[in-house]
Amino acid sequence: MTAYTVSMEHIPPLLELWAKEYDVHVPVRDVDGFVNFSPWRPSAEIAWDYDVAYNSLKRFFLPPREDLLRFDLAASTAEPVMEAPLQLLFGVHPYDVKAINQLDQLMDQGTADVNYRKRREATVLVALTPEHVSDLAFWSSVGADSVDIGFDMYFTRISPSSFYVEVLSPKGEELLLARGELPRSTLPEREAAKRKKAAIRAKADKNGISFPWKQTPKLMSRHWDSPLWRNKARHCLSCGSCVMVCPTCYCFDVREEADLDLKGGRRFREWDGCMLPSFALVAGDHNFRPEARDRYRHRYFRKGKYIFDKIGELGCVGCGRCVNACTTGIANPMAVFNDLWEADNHES
Amino acid sequence: MAKKPKIAFFDFAGCEGDQLQIANLEEALLDLLGHIDIAAFREVHTGDTGGPYDISFVEGSITRPEDEPRVKEIRDKSKLLVALGACASIGGINCMKNHMPESVYREHVYGDKARWYPTYAARPVSAVVKVDAEVHGCPIDRGEFVRIVKELLLGRTPWIADYPVCVECKIAGNICRYDMGRMCLGIVTRAGCNACCITEGAHCWGCRGLAPHANLDAARYAMQDRAGFTREEVQDLLRMYLGFSQATL
Ligand code: SF4
Ligand code: SF4
Ligand code: SF4
Ligand code: SF4
Ligand code: SF4
Repeated sequence: MTAYTVSMEHIPPLLELWAKEYDVHVPVRDVDGFVNFSPWRPSAEIAWDYDVAYNSLKRFFLPPREDLLRFDLAASTAEPVMEAPLQLLFGVHPYDVKAINQLDQLMDQGTADVNYRKRREATVLVALTPEHVSDLAFWSSVGADSVDIGFDMYFTRISPSSFYVEVLSPKGEELLLARGELPRSTLPEREAAKRKKAAIRAKADKNGISFPWKQTPKLMSRHWDSPLWRNKARHCLSCGSCVMVCPTCYCFDVREEADLDLKGGRRFREWDGCMLPSFALVAGDHNFRPEARDRYRHRYFRKGKYIFDKIGELGCVGCGRCVNACTTGIANPMAVFNDLWEADNHES
Repeated sequence: MAKKPKIAFFDFAGCEGDQLQIANLEEALLDLLGHIDIAAFREVHTGDTGGPYDISFVEGSITRPEDEPRVKEIRDKSKLLVALGACASIGGINCMKNHMPESVYREHVYGDKARWYPTYAARPVSAVVKVDAEVHGCPIDRGEFVRIVKELLLGRTPWIADYPVCVECKIAGNICRYDMGRMCLGIVTRAGCNACCITEGAHCWGCRGLAPHANLDAARYAMQDRAGFTREEVQDLLRMYLGFSQATL
């Protein structure tokens, strides 16, 4: 991978240039201290040291509400709607890139999701090595501490005033060099970036699942009947927060709304999730997962087994967002996986 | 559609805020009027051209003996009866009095004339007559009202959100009030308002009523045991709108 060394003062003019063509979003801290990806402005102060962005980035590819079709009731015709603004996400942590890579695979399975694909293709991803780890994160223990595909550039801060920038795609290289040639990184600079990544991984290792993550699918299979599901689900509000905030959850509902003249209308999709009671409700009022216990268990099976069976990775990148979002404190995959693992070890 | 459906609005105990929301629709209201005949709508014009009505929207809760025959008569004259707004759909803030002694609230409202005004515990319209659909909220969401009317005109069963406000709050990308050390009833309240109160910087008061499957024990656990609010604080918030719910608040 080619790498360039970029100085801090080079970055604002670069962003300004990119913003002419792309909707550029950067991590920005709000007055209360929460960081979110927000539209870049010349005055924007980038939160270089953020630990986790409050909202996941899936909304840039799978917007919470998105029109899919326009239809005409009289003529019985329909036209697809596809919107995909050129966008550039600057400063995405590796576990979040990993989450997007998972969506890329999952949305392409079966009938490819063209709306998703369009938006994804219109996006430039600039990754960033984290400086801090959220107390609730456990990404280094689920194989999401590093990522080698999916991004266009990857920034690692190697000194207060400079970054080691790997470029993965021709687009990334073109954009990085848009203001002229940059020095190729030297061997010591590459070593410095490596040390930086190792240091943050060491920090992240302090919190994690206590066994090799590839064991999780087997672990799950052994625990379909665990009492844990009912015990925890007693406190479940069926509020869906845990799946809404999750960067790897991609479920949606499809609905329609007529125009005021009642002659035409639109079909749109909206985020949905398996923790909501009506998610598995089908014709005849039959619900495949009628109880909170069923839904609670299903989510962990999705995270720990079903997604693995599809793509060989856990359906959880360990960002910790669900852990924070659950107001009753029961949505933590790490805690659930560790509890089940411990239950096994106590039995044997 | 051969003939324009005849629509009427009626109010009981409530502030008429929901009808005001509809009057405030302006442009959209004019477009809707192209599809309907308004037989009675006090907020916009006086008089009632009389029943039968295709759709009656009933606002306000039932809280006096004379309300009952009146709402029954409306029901008899209406093909579809839709409860409009929190007072009608869930009893709403009128039900706060249901947790007070009768003499206290009657004196509070009517002073020394209290004995001339018989009232009793407030109830939603559905406690007295069959309700075909509910437009939730205090006040109702104009966009949702228009959508529900369109769906009724098209002969469809209106889609009503059946999950808690948290879903819409996450969709809006808000910072959760619990992350700011505040309380919020979005965890048990029916969505449909786009979590507007949270987006505007406040919290959810529960005006759309309990979501189906609302888990009040878990909510108390979240508010008291986890977030550290007192039993009284939680009870006050729960009783503001949810007073008529069958749950112990
Ligand atoms: S399950 Fe939770 S920790 Fe895992 S990726 Fe989703 S939000 Fe993050
Ligand atoms: S965990 Fe549930 S909401 Fe998330 S992707 Fe899987 S089925 Fe959908
Ligand atoms: S966030 Fe917590 S309470 Fe809400 S659905 Fe998820 S597990 Fe249940
Ligand atoms: S602020 Fe309220 S509605 Fe929003 S996520 Fe938190 S509890 Fe739910
Ligand atoms: S956020 Fe809560 S109180 Fe506000 S309108 Fe919605 S349901 Fe009502």
